[in-house]
Amino acid sequence: MTSTPTDVQAGPASLEAGPPAAPTAPPTPPRARRGDWLTPGWLPWLLQAPALAVLAGLLVYPLVRVGVLAFQDFGLRELVTGESAWVGLENFDEVLTDPLLWQVALPNTVVFAAVNVVLTVAVGTAVALLLARLSGWARGVLTSAIMVAWAMPAVTGTYVWVFLFDARDGFVMQTLGSLGLVDPETTNWFTERLPFYAIATVNVVHHGFPFVAVTILAGLMTVPKDMLEAAALDGAGAWRRFRYITVPVLKPVFAVVTILSTIWDFKVFTQIYLMPGGSGTNREVLNLGTWSYITAISQNRYGLGAAIAVLLTVLLLVITMVYLRTLFRQEEL
Amino acid sequence: MRVLGTGTTRRTHRKRVSFAVGVATLALATAACGSGSDGGSSEIDADADVSAEGEKLTVWIMEGTNPDAEPYVDGLSKAFEEKTGATLDVQFVPWAEAHDKFVNSIAGETTPDVAEVGTTWTPEFADAGALVDLSQPVSDSGLDGDLVPGLVEAGTVDEGLYGMPWYAGVRSVVYRTDVFEEAGVEPPTSWDELVTVGEKLEAANPDMITFPVAGDSEYGVYPFIWGNGGTIAEQEGDTWASRIDSAEAQEGITFYTDLAKEHGFSSPAATTWDEADLSDAFSRGDVAMMIAGSWTPGALVEANPDLEGKIGAFPIPGPDGGVSPSFLGGSHLSVFEASDNKDLAFALVELMATGEQAQAWSEQSGFFPGTKTLLDQVQEADDPVVAPFATQMVEGGASLPVTPLYGQVQGKKTVSAMLQSILSGDASVEEASTQAADEMDEIFSRG
Repeated sequence: MTSTPTDVQAGPASLEAGPPAAPTAPPTPPRARRGDWLTPGWLPWLLQAPALAVLAGLLVYPLVRVGVLAFQDFGLRELVTGESAWVGLENFDEVLTDPLLWQVALPNTVVFAAVNVVLTVAVGTAVALLLARLSGWARGVLTSAIMVAWAMPAVTGTYVWVFLFDARDGFVMQTLGSLGLVDPETTNWFTERLPFYAIATVNVVHHGFPFVAVTILAGLMTVPKDMLEAAALDGAGAWRRFRYITVPVLKPVFAVVTILSTIWDFKVFTQIYLMPGGSGTNREVLNLGTWSYITAISQNRYGLGAAIAVLLTVLLLVITMVYLRTLFRQEEL
Repeated sequence: MRVLGTGTTRRTHRKRVSFAVGVATLALATAACGSGSDGGSSEIDADADVSAEGEKLTVWIMEGTNPDAEPYVDGLSKAFEEKTGATLDVQFVPWAEAHDKFVNSIAGETTPDVAEVGTTWTPEFADAGALVDLSQPVSDSGLDGDLVPGLVEAGTVDEGLYGMPWYAGVRSVVYRTDVFEEAGVEPPTSWDELVTVGEKLEAANPDMITFPVAGDSEYGVYPFIWGNGGTIAEQEGDTWASRIDSAEAQEGITFYTDLAKEHGFSSPAATTWDEADLSDAFSRGDVAMMIAGSWTPGALVEANPDLEGKIGAFPIPGPDGGVSPSFLGGSHLSVFEASDNKDLAFALVELMATGEQAQAWSEQSGFFPGTKTLLDQVQEADDPVVAPFATQMVEGGASLPVTPLYGQVQGKKTVSAMLQSILSGDASVEEASTQAADEMDEIFSRG
């Protein structure tokens, strides 16, 4: 928003304002014609109140509550009695000195997110480019197909992938086994960290790329055709046209899908928790999300679980901020 | 008003409990007596007139225990209405989400009046002050001598009984009688025999999993620890100390995991299986024998009618004969502190846990009743898929450490994690059991 109700000056100029100002227009008051007494400063807030109340209830309150919990020793007894004991930084101390954080949960979270963001955006972009070249009906069919992947609930999707990779009856295991590539008699992919996360990656990328594809496809429609044609006439190949015209034009779109994918892939939970061993039996595959949940909900150590969640949030904020800053700095140059 | 009222009761109740913990045995006895004369709304008068026309009790029952529970609920509602005039609102809660649901309802004071509570959760909720001490009304109704001791032990916290034994189940070995017959073997009665029988089955049916060792089922390994004379943890004064890394326990764990690693009776897939996966594989016909609960045979046949008449059971053998103890699980019926009508709630508990209603539930669900009178009747009936479990229960039923802290150990999946890391080859029995013991001790030390 370029103007808030309070910085609008009523005056003769406003009478010439005409239709509502475009975002780039000078600070022309869009609605002074009726006089200020009709739209006092609190009115916009009143109109936004329902939305703000919902946001406060669903977003701000839980966030603050988790923040507070992280500094308390809070278990089931505290939950029932309503009492709570402040422990200062004890929870954070316990988390930060736990080798599980440094050797397992953090690397699993960060590496998994990095790999998945890159793959999701890459696959999404490739599919978007394909969609852009297809004719109307083929694009419709393909878009519907990827929408199904997108619309599938994470729980269902995870069970399907687990079923495919099942160590005994899974389709993938049977196929690779009959080709002699793996020995089903000795292999269970879910017990080892790398294969476990490879399967999770397939699941998450499969579930995440449609959003990227659709968003980038929308962006591709805005790339000026004449520029591409001019570049083609100048002898630029497909890759060079993509690299030097499409990518720069779509940079804000890439920024959005990358940030959103980063956030989603960092806090991935369902897809890990529901895999065999993911709910705590296989300690090697814990990530920050599942570790936090198991600590808080399965063990009723809400304070400690909240501390892990706070760390995850801080980590995400830092990454997002660094990313946004780099982006804006490049824009200024 | 009501909310304030119950809140106050709960706090005084809490104080009483923590006071009792703080002081020695004498004080414990006083506290137990005190609950009879306290006069707060948490007291139950078992002899109170409970005619309660127009009142309604909310009841939570776990889903799936009784495959077709509607007729039972109808019968129960009718019987209760005849007895007291009050009606019931029975809700079914899936086991998987029950714990979270209880915790949330306790926090939000939206608990039911009466609920089925898993025996391992009872100490936890009692310790949190959410449940009513039933010892006084139970002894007033003369029931205290007739309750199954293992279930009473599991529901007792600081001398108070917070869960009325409702039903019990125990795990033994469930096997395919046809497969055993074909291979010419009899149910084993010692650990050596278990291995010989396994080898013969393996030779006769190489495509079947002879004895899957499920990595995500802690209840599979406990019998071998207990059977070998080990324990999970022992109480030392006020605290508990893990014994899962003792020589006896390690030997038992080694025998159990070697069934997979050394003898090849299991499958790598089973390393990540839980009990539901075990049952699935069995009902698909892939499994010759497995550790399974007394409640499973019915469900197995229902999942695959071809197995009708081909399922048998035998108690988990001890190392040199006898029976290895197995976890005695089950459910209590508990009355919640937030209930408005605790006398009426106890009347329902009594109706459900004794006599006709308890017998009907036990027959329909395949679980054992929580009173000795009814349990004797079951043993006398001598059903081939029921009697071995009854033997297991009577000769070898064991409890896990009765402390809410063990709930945290289970929440952390300490024992399953140990089992899985041994089965997948990530750790030796010694490493894994030492780590499990450290984890338990760390949790115990927080109590």
